Amino acid sequence: MDSTSVLDIGHRARRRTRSRYWRGGLRGSEYAWAIAFLVPYAGVFLAFVAYPVLYGLWMGSEASLYSELLSDPIYLSTVVNTLLYLAIGVNLKMFLALLLSGFFMRPGWWMKALLLIYVLPWAVPALPTFISIHWMLNGDWGLLNNALYALFHIQGPSWLGERWLALGSAIISHIWKWMPFWTVILLAGRMAIPMEIRDAAKVDGATGLHSFVHISFPLLANLYLICTLLSTIFTLGDFNSVTFVTGGGPANTTHVLATLGIRDAFDISQPRLGVAAVMSALPLMIPLVILLMRKLRTTEVQL
Amino acid sequence: MSAVTTGTRLAARGSTHRMRRAALRRRFAANAAAMALAAVLIVWSITPIYNMVMVSLEAEGDVFGEHIWPPKPSLDGFWVVITQGHWYLEYFWHQFGNSLYIGAMTTILTLFIGSLTSFSVGRMRVRHGRLVINAALLTYVIPATFLAIPFYLIMQHYGLANNPWSVIAANVAFATPYAIFIFLEYGRSIPIELDESARIDGATPSQVYLRIYLPLMAPALVAVGTYALLLAWNEFLYQFLLLSSKSSMTVPVALAQFLNSDEAPWNYMMATAIVYAVPPVVIYYAFRRRMAAGLTMGGVKG
Amino acid sequence: MSRLSRRSVLRGSLGLVAAGAVTRPYIANAAATTATVWQPQGFIPEEDVAFRAMVADYEKASGNKIDYSIIPFAPLRQKAVSAIASGVVPDEISVADFAFAPLNAWGDKLIDLSDVVESLTSEFSPTALRASNHYNNVTKRRGYYLAPTAMGASPFHIWRSLIEKAGYKTSDIPNTWDAFLDFFEPVQTKLREQGMRNVYAHGYQLTTNGVDPLNTFNAFLIAYGGKDLVTPDGKLHSDDPQVREAAVKALVKLTTPFKEGFVPPGVVNWNDADDNNAFHAKLIVMDYDGSISTELALYHKKEEYDDILTRGLPLGNDGKELTSQILVFGSVIPKGAKNVAVAKEFVKYRTEPKTLNATLKSGLGRWIVPVPAIVKSDPFWLQSDPHLTAYAQQTTVGPTMPVYESFNPAIAQVNAEHVFSVAMFDVMNNAMAPEQAVDKAFKRAEAIFEKYPIGES
Repeated sequence: MDSTSVLDIGHRARRRTRSRYWRGGLRGSEYAWAIAFLVPYAGVFLAFVAYPVLYGLWMGSEASLYSELLSDPIYLSTVVNTLLYLAIGVNLKMFLALLLSGFFMRPGWWMKALLLIYVLPWAVPALPTFISIHWMLNGDWGLLNNALYALFHIQGPSWLGERWLALGSAIISHIWKWMPFWTVILLAGRMAIPMEIRDAAKVDGATGLHSFVHISFPLLANLYLICTLLSTIFTLGDFNSVTFVTGGGPANTTHVLATLGIRDAFDISQPRLGVAAVMSALPLMIPLVILLMRKLRTTEVQL
Repeated sequence: MSAVTTGTRLAARGSTHRMRRAALRRRFAANAAAMALAAVLIVWSITPIYNMVMVSLEAEGDVFGEHIWPPKPSLDGFWVVITQGHWYLEYFWHQFGNSLYIGAMTTILTLFIGSLTSFSVGRMRVRHGRLVINAALLTYVIPATFLAIPFYLIMQHYGLANNPWSVIAANVAFATPYAIFIFLEYGRSIPIELDESARIDGATPSQVYLRIYLPLMAPALVAVGTYALLLAWNEFLYQFLLLSSKSSMTVPVALAQFLNSDEAPWNYMMATAIVYAVPPVVIYYAFRRRMAAGLTMGGVKG
Repeated sequence: MSRLSRRSVLRGSLGLVAAGAVTRPYIANAAATTATVWQPQGFIPEEDVAFRAMVADYEKASGNKIDYSIIPFAPLRQKAVSAIASGVVPDEISVADFAFAPLNAWGDKLIDLSDVVESLTSEFSPTALRASNHYNNVTKRRGYYLAPTAMGASPFHIWRSLIEKAGYKTSDIPNTWDAFLDFFEPVQTKLREQGMRNVYAHGYQLTTNGVDPLNTFNAFLIAYGGKDLVTPDGKLHSDDPQVREAAVKALVKLTTPFKEGFVPPGVVNWNDADDNNAFHAKLIVMDYDGSISTELALYHKKEEYDDILTRGLPLGNDGKELTSQILVFGSVIPKGAKNVAVAKEFVKYRTEPKTLNATLKSGLGRWIVPVPAIVKSDPFWLQSDPHLTAYAQQTTVGPTMPVYESFNPAIAQVNAEHVFSVAMFDVMNNAMAPEQAVDKAFKRAEAIFEKYPIGES
């Protein structure tokens, strides 16, 4: 799913004043109303989140599935791909987003115009653009190699025909799609740093890098960390970029767990094995989630 | 200007001038670097989209040519899409309608359910409301992709197979937690006294919700509504798994069908993609300011 | 024998009296009931129209109702897999892949259609029948779990104009396997000399997507004598030196042109449609691809349509005829179907040779009617169109065999994992020796076959 939820966590993380609620407690009928108002969401949650989660856990609970998974010759390389995808995809994306959010702080109308173009990848639906990238990277008739030939007379490689080039292409595509989003979030975070602090730093003669290291970054660090954790979870579930850019190929060398699960479920016709494939990411997810929750809680307590 | 004159001027004006020139040069260099970076960013952001446009403007056979701009650009591809002039596209507007329907229902339900929940938890402060919020947060813990297979099987049991409501249910389930968070946060800026005085005047909670809470929440509703619509528009996997007949499909699923056939008219495919991309881009740019206002309300101030 | 069992089953399941119904389909005129049917989308609009007409005829004749959904191939497959897994199934599924029926027959998830199919045995192509016969691991017996409705071989597709532009004639094309394939390489060289920078000799699908690479590898394997990789008894013969040698030769023959630049470098990650696309764009001189969909896509562009030469397999290197592997599609009824009686009756109706002939002809002959007598008697198949003639001849006249899936469903998983495409990739990109790549692939295939032991009772 989409990842816009970060902003509100930014808010929660920096809650200023305790807001006041409906005072004086709820009167009898009001309590019934309050409960009634919760019913729709409780229903949605139980029917469409809790039940699928439990069903999934049950489906993937057979131990034999995991030995079958391990015997699949591509399982280990898929795990490696997933880790690389996370390590490079998330960190490169977040780091560049952090730097670019600083760049977009520059004044001037043309920066605003540039930002509009820059967020385009995020605003355009995912699937068509990934298909476009797949086509563009085709070694035989794609735009990229045509451009390389037209401009420099170089015959480009078959971008999707080799494991590392293909995996790299999928990762870059993911970054292309999601970096604008995180840049905007971090930009909002930077904008929210009070002018006084920035001005005071300027008076003290702090410049570029110095100001970034000592002023902006400490203030953004928390937001950056939370964003990175969330982005890790979202990236783990990213099915579209691999499916449509590389299709898991060549020779099944670029699958990640999310796409392997779908392949096992429907191409191999073993839905349970597919669930087991994605469930095998749980050991990685659980610490992430605990870290994220703790981070959110402690941040809340501090502020 | 010769070096001599420069020299005399420098001598006359002294060191301040030199510093200003250095500062100017530095600013010029910074600007030049910014321009260069801007150029890189434009190429980076636009290239795949340019590729879509280029392919969509090409004639069928030219798609495989060696060019970086269509030799004979034409809008035929778009015309074929709009008039449903190709066999793959015979239900295009119907499918577009399905996408709109799913998007609209997702948006309405997300706003409705999210605002009710946030009203109960945030304004009425129902006991154990926090529990609901924590449960909602849990939704984001497991990537939606990972739930697709069990979700699919459950939909068969619910009798919702090949039914747009199964997709709407999935979208709402994943968009509502976000809505709740934003509404709770935004609601803090609305004085609780308004609710209280209405309550003293004898208004029931549903009246307070409808007449006071919702109107004041308008900016947040717009922001979340845009978000929910974009989410529904971007989503693929659930639509792909849950919708299967040509008439119940959405545009992304129909697009993916192009790849599974014996013949792939790429120009039509890309033209379809562009037509499909128009609504979210328009909506995003139309509501950009309000969206930012709704999302960054209160800001991330330290 | 077949007549007796057919009768008894019909009486039991339909409760109708069937008399003199050898040529006419059985129709239950009991209270109207509804069956849900999942049908793959046709290749051209006319196929769907023909299906709808056939359903309407059936409804009229029987008084039953068919509640059908026409679904594109890929989602249909997903829906079918999930329906079986969830237990919520339709009454009839027309499957368009070769793995579904054998895998689910193995798991006892399908209804045995022997009573329906056995009434047709005298008319249907033995290859189509063999492809519909699967092993059930619960009853430990084979039976017809698929009622065949269409079949097709994989021919070669060649651009005449490219051959001629290179200075050759189509009559120059040799008729033995290796020489036939090698012929196209100098064509590429000549065309390149004329400035066609992107043209390639072959369009082999050496990818891990779709069924094209499976058909390609199998054809090569058979051409080098490895037909018995899997035998009808369901056994894998990876230990047979002749099979192993054939697999090595097939790998070498497929990967060497790739390494030498006679195949587009992108093939390792092509999608199903990409070879057709590249062929249509005249980026490849020759393509090997199932059915004549490649030609039919250009049906309305007369000049290009006529420019393609369709031909079946050349002779083997030993001068003997080569066996073509035949793709067979058909109907299944999943266990748990609510209305088995109507579903069976509908399957029987639609597999009636005359009905099949009408339906498949409306599809321009993309798939061949699995009844040889009709192919020979109806001039549409062998006399109306040169592409169709070559294709129908390869499918029904020449020696044929079914795809391996019907022998043992293990091969379905071997193929879903694209074990042999991975072997090709190992040779092409990982510089593995072909022998080593074959050993690795065989090892994986053996591990998968271990999960599917067949011991017929």
